[in-house]
Amino acid sequence: MRIWLIAAASSLALLTQPAVSQTYPSKPIHMLVPYAPGGVTDIAARIVGAKLTEAWGQQVVVENRPGGNGFIGMSAGAKGAPDGYTLTMATIGDVSINPVLFKEMPYNMERDFTSVGLVSDIPLVLAANSETPYKSVADVIAAAKAQPGRISVGSPGSGTINQIVIEWIGLETGTKFQHIPFKGGAPSAAAVAGGTIPLGVLASSSVAPHVKSGKIRVLAVTGAKPSKFNPQWPTLQSQGVKEVDASQWTLLLAPKGTPKAIVEKINTELVKILNMPDVKERFAAGGAETSPSTPAELDARMKTATAAFGNIVKRANIKPN
Amino acid sequence: MQTLDNLLFGLEVALTLQNIAYCFIGCLLGTLVGVLPGIGPVATVAMLLPFTFNLGPAPALIMLAGIYYGAQYGGSTTAILVNIPGESSAVVTTLDGHQMARKGRAGPALGIAAIGSFVAGCIATLVVAFFAPPLAEVAIKFGPPEYFSLMVFGLIAAVVLARGSVIKAIAMVCVGILLGLVGTDVNSGVIRYAFNLPELMDGIGFVALAMAFFGITDVVANLEETDQGDVYKERLGSVLPTLQDIRTCFWSIMRGTSLGSLLGILPGGGALLASFAAYMVEKKIAKPPRNFGEGDIRGVAAPESANNAGAQTSFIPMLTLGIPSNPTMALMIGALMIQGIQPGPQVMTERPELFWGLVASMWVGNLMLLVLNLPLIGVWVRLLAVPYRLLFPAIFVFCCIGVYTVDNKVFDIYVLAALTGVAYVLLKLDCEPAPLILGFILGPMMEEQMRRAMMINFGDITVFVRHPVSALFLAAAAILMLLIALPSLRAKREVALQE
Repeated sequence: MRIWLIAAASSLALLTQPAVSQTYPSKPIHMLVPYAPGGVTDIAARIVGAKLTEAWGQQVVVENRPGGNGFIGMSAGAKGAPDGYTLTMATIGDVSINPVLFKEMPYNMERDFTSVGLVSDIPLVLAANSETPYKSVADVIAAAKAQPGRISVGSPGSGTINQIVIEWIGLETGTKFQHIPFKGGAPSAAAVAGGTIPLGVLASSSVAPHVKSGKIRVLAVTGAKPSKFNPQWPTLQSQGVKEVDASQWTLLLAPKGTPKAIVEKINTELVKILNMPDVKERFAAGGAETSPSTPAELDARMKTATAAFGNIVKRANIKPN
Repeated sequence: MQTLDNLLFGLEVALTLQNIAYCFIGCLLGTLVGVLPGIGPVATVAMLLPFTFNLGPAPALIMLAGIYYGAQYGGSTTAILVNIPGESSAVVTTLDGHQMARKGRAGPALGIAAIGSFVAGCIATLVVAFFAPPLAEVAIKFGPPEYFSLMVFGLIAAVVLARGSVIKAIAMVCVGILLGLVGTDVNSGVIRYAFNLPELMDGIGFVALAMAFFGITDVVANLEETDQGDVYKERLGSVLPTLQDIRTCFWSIMRGTSLGSLLGILPGGGALLASFAAYMVEKKIAKPPRNFGEGDIRGVAAPESANNAGAQTSFIPMLTLGIPSNPTMALMIGALMIQGIQPGPQVMTERPELFWGLVASMWVGNLMLLVLNLPLIGVWVRLLAVPYRLLFPAIFVFCCIGVYTVDNKVFDIYVLAALTGVAYVLLKLDCEPAPLILGFILGPMMEEQMRRAMMINFGDITVFVRHPVSALFLAAAAILMLLIALPSLRAKREVALQE
């Protein structure tokens, strides 16, 4: 029944396309954020929202629906009317980790959402307390191999991309780490800086102040390419940890069945906004790079990530909830 | 001397016309949203966030900080007048503050809260100015074992909070811990007691719990008493605290301030523990006659000073480590990030105008709040003259709005309703809610820190006594437990001897 409705709606949408995209938007747009105000995702939504409001003369209202690992906001986004007036600012965790980590999901990416575009990318780093003997990735691997499972590595929480990276490094190098989750980026970074734990996989923005004060040493970035913020940091891949390529991204979604013309109109505007110098600067201030993309590029990226993470979760024997 | 120069420099920043204006706007807005039990500072700051994009970092932070401590002030107003703690730190204020209001001493209670907060604010500002860098160092060295032992101490001390039976207080702490365990376990990611409801995956909301156990249950209890008009015995009474009141409270304010300044620097619930700790200390060492729980003015002065001092010093971990003590501060960090400022140890040297401007503006803001609040007390007190049949529906509605606006979830209102049922039963059983609230907040933190300490040390339990600070807290907890147990032991022995 539902599929028929969607089919009918989308064929109707196809017929009326030019008219729809010309009049869109004719009323305020709701941008749902599945996280609390003040966080990375919320800030991204507020920056983009303010610029969309400027461009279209229609208010873009940022609505925070935090809770339940992002489930509450994502479910609300999935159930929104497919007319372009409900958008969701999501993260890699919502689209590529939770689906492989939870047995029961209140939403399904394929069935409920259509991609609008990537928004930003935050590089992650493997960082060590400066007083530890870890000077390079090789040191860490050697220590872990000597004592598998006895080297503690901190992350901002269970089920985060950071935890996935910790397991991934272990799998690629044939060893294992003791994962110590904290509640958020700043507390985990402070724990590494204070010496509570020797190592952490953290957002580069969380470690930046401690790197400056000399308490934390960055050993590598976890992406395949060096970070724009500090091109001197080597990548994990260049340090012999093959395959690992992960970062924390933010992206914009619309409910499935949103007319293609509207999705394209939003994407065009989004790309324009993300290329503005002042927007780039704002994101950089929060430790993120803007990363404009087409909807198709985002689809491809989500697919690759979900497949890779599903594989890691299985091999590292992380029990899904 | 360096510090004095810096403070003067900060005053120069804070006393520009623009910054005074933003400080005033922040304090006023904060007081208003604090007084309305519905709307919390988080919602207010979130709404104002886009507006701060175009301000400089200093005015933005000064305004947001004004909202934060303005709301602390306002929150104690509702705690005293209608027994609704808007923030966790105001829970203790309800104990004696609301009893005072019922006895026609709402004015002195509000007055001493304002004066105590002002004094505490001034002293804590100096603490921040002089000791921020070394204190940040302390906060960063406070590891999982230390936190665990501090929480153990706090929970045992929670028993002292209760007026009546010790056994019931212990039981309430345990119920509180159990309620606090609902949701996702930080250490394993396992979801507990959530019945597959995504709404419960992050646990039960504090605001819903506090409003259920204090605000609404209080209304229900009041309505039960047959003649409804009599809730506030002498409605207006005196408006300001007398000199005698202030003299009685002087040392309570000082003790509260020092406890608050110390505990406030611990990012994990330190500022909150402060008000509880201050109350417990007063209950044990204040000069007799002591009638805590029945409207002792020192039971308002000490926790209010502690909570304001703690609110002030919690800016140390926020600015130097980027660790927020509560959701409002998390938003302020967000606002700073948008401005391109990374909270960190360098903030003081790289952005001196921001750091010292904020420190100085705290003092200016506290002065503004005092000037703003003292004349307002008369207005608030007159609110009690509103017939109760009109007042209680308003309390109901505001509680519901407040619970909803935390996360924009209707579900939380159902939680409020369900918890009110539980709270009512517990009230009938003569069980007091304050220990439950403390268990609810500290219990999960204690578990999280304990398991983290064990994971890092691979199951070696001696870590809790090997760390000196942790061992100290555990020893203090053991002594406290003896102190609690002794009177009842002695009583039993006397009974035995008589036989």
